[in-house]
Amino acid sequence: MSAPGPPKALNGDGASLLPRADRIHTERVETTRLASLSHVLATEHGARLADLFADDGADGQIVLRSVYALDHESRYLVLECEIDRDRFPPLSDLDPAAFVEECEIYEQYGIRPDGVRRLNRVLVPPHRADRFPRLGRREGLRLARDYEPHVVTGEAFEFPFGPVRVTGWESLYMGLVTTGEEVLDLYLFHWHKHRGLDHRLRGLEPERATFFAERADGLSSVGDTLAFCRAVEMATGSEVPAPAAHTRAVALELERIYNHAAAVAAMCQTTGLSVGQARSEIVLERLLRCNLAAFGHRYLFGVVSPGGVRREPDAEEIRRQLPGILDEFRYVVDALLVTNSHVDRLESTGIVTPGNAHRLSLVGPVARGSGQAIDVRRDHPTGPGDEPVPVVQVQPAGDALARMRVMVAEVEEAARLIDAHLGEAGAGSEPLAGGGGAGLGWAESPRGEALAWVSLDGDGRIDGVRLRPASVRNWRAFDDAARAQNVFTDIPIIEASFWLTVAGFAR
Amino acid sequence: MAVDERGLELDTVSTELRRRALRLFGRSLHIRTVDSGSCAVCESEIRLLAAPHYDLHRLGFFFTPAPRHADLLMVTGPAVRAADNLLLKAYDATPDPKAVIAVGACALGGVYPEDSLVHGAIDRVLPVDVFVPGCPPSPLALLQGLLVAVGRLEERVGALSLDLDAGSAG
Amino acid sequence: MAFWFYRGVRKGIATTRYPSTVDPWARGLPSAPGFHAARLTIPLVDRLVGECPAGALTREDQELVVDLGRCTGCGRCLELGTGAVRSTGEFLLATSDRAALIKRVPIRGDREASGGG
Repeated sequence: MSAPGPPKALNGDGASLLPRADRIHTERVETTRLASLSHVLATEHGARLADLFADDGADGQIVLRSVYALDHESRYLVLECEIDRDRFPPLSDLDPAAFVEECEIYEQYGIRPDGVRRLNRVLVPPHRADRFPRLGRREGLRLARDYEPHVVTGEAFEFPFGPVRVTGWESLYMGLVTTGEEVLDLYLFHWHKHRGLDHRLRGLEPERATFFAERADGLSSVGDTLAFCRAVEMATGSEVPAPAAHTRAVALELERIYNHAAAVAAMCQTTGLSVGQARSEIVLERLLRCNLAAFGHRYLFGVVSPGGVRREPDAEEIRRQLPGILDEFRYVVDALLVTNSHVDRLESTGIVTPGNAHRLSLVGPVARGSGQAIDVRRDHPTGPGDEPVPVVQVQPAGDALARMRVMVAEVEEAARLIDAHLGEAGAGSEPLAGGGGAGLGWAESPRGEALAWVSLDGDGRIDGVRLRPASVRNWRAFDDAARAQNVFTDIPIIEASFWLTVAGFAR
Repeated sequence: MAVDERGLELDTVSTELRRRALRLFGRSLHIRTVDSGSCAVCESEIRLLAAPHYDLHRLGFFFTPAPRHADLLMVTGPAVRAADNLLLKAYDATPDPKAVIAVGACALGGVYPEDSLVHGAIDRVLPVDVFVPGCPPSPLALLQGLLVAVGRLEERVGALSLDLDAGSAG
Repeated sequence: MAFWFYRGVRKGIATTRYPSTVDPWARGLPSAPGFHAARLTIPLVDRLVGECPAGALTREDQELVVDLGRCTGCGRCLELGTGAVRSTGEFLLATSDRAALIKRVPIRGDREASGGG
């Protein structure tokens, strides 16, 4: 897969955007055309907004990049736009999926989306706002004044939860706006966990950067690292040897299985079914030990590296352990689905409507549980690691039960894929070709599409990077899911059924 | 001695007294977990302590969500500066005698060096009584950490030598 | 609901016996690295120090200083050290004394070589 060539100037209305050859295509676009092009892409070409981010350009300007996924055509389209003023054309007025990203761009680069009056704080904590490092090079950003304090009026009040929460659940502030039992609104503040990973990766070599990319969202380590390494491989024009591609697939599916088992356990915890939780946790622990036997780490750190893999799986151990564990998982799931006290709590809880899933460009089991049949393993295959093509598991109802059903079906599918890849999985990696370039990488992590974009300078070091774990896309659906018919005690159930991480969002 | 941003000393009770208090709680210790910016994997191992394979209850340890009931704060993450308030508030809200156990390489100063975004280690913000290495520390390592904290297990690492050629390696 | 109870009881006890024994599967866990002092040279140690992404390795004069608190068990030093570095199998490293996690290994490889060993 060769690196994309220099962006070509755009002409015409949109038809010229889509030459058929490349799996990823980058276009330089004029600021004035960006919004209308995005609209055309979404309405006429069925494009899904996968990401929107900024970067410091060469001459003091800021480059805005929007990444569109054309799932039906197996292509990604990157639109680049130079911004030389303090404002940029908003996408969010036509495409709500862009709002969180626009807020993040404002925070990091100080450029506002035109005409969008109200912006939310995303990653920079209020008590350190002015002293906090930013990705952008502009000096003296004074953001603290730009955020309206959120005020709850009338008969409603805000009930604060967190950020320190129940044992073993990540720091996350939830403001529940309510008049009593019903959830009127929900505010989420993730910034307590902001580590500034995109800062840290700048100036590093890809191999060193992988160590941090693995730890951006540890429970999606393989998926996120795979997206990052693929971006590096595209930037350098490197090919991954086939045995390594198969190993990557095995690791990715093992990660999917243990995450889905953990989600089932968490759902039992939140519905109060302790015995179901205990039995699911037994499965989870056995899966983590299987990971350890297979790859030397319970959470599969240290497997994927730029150019290939650092380790190969112990196929014998996987074949010995996994079938019995999956039998036990099926046993537990069967029992759960006939335990009415559990199923009743999941049914109709936390509904993400298909409309919202589409409107907000959600990914992963959350999207598939709301009828969106997207999965980058099938839609954007990269090579031997994506064959056989996975069967995409979709449920229409959009509630917590639908998400659970999707996860359970995905475990079966993952087992089938591991079986298919294990025989050809091996070690090895290609040394990266030198020189600079930019690349986009993607992978279907357990939580959905993970994206990464990287730009390497002439010495092969990172001069621009964007890590976008799946959690960045999906948290925004949480408040819609929590509103209206739901009661307080449903919120942990919804959180468990989403099974995202705060770390993946806050980076 | 750790100080907060106001320059106030954080532990009001001496180390020796805290250790003795922990031993008093050795058979019934309540633990509250605090996340200062982890990657979420340490949390996963901590959750498994209450799962059947490890069952910390059989050893007299209990998790509590209430700071007022906690005897021990189990802290993960590299103390990101965005978490300053939550760390200090969690610490202040826990009544004396209390102790802090820092869990994972991030919490012990590895992975993230100190800079404008993170403190890099929990003991730069709070006084830490027990340190548990690992990335992540497995639930067995966490159990060892808890048992060491309450004085029911001897520490092993002091005698460990990493010099494989030394005559009588620990 | 009764079937949950009966199924569970039939499956037996899953709980570890730790602290009375350490489970066999745990032998595969990432563990503290050990070093053959006689095979460590200053150039090798400097490369190991540069390779460690967590900042656990430093060199002080003729000593390799290992901070087990920072070590993530990633294994890069094992891969690079080939023969000079080996897993110790030690992963139960909790301590109340942060300084107890700092270990020193003398760098004797250069001297051995120059001593005509």
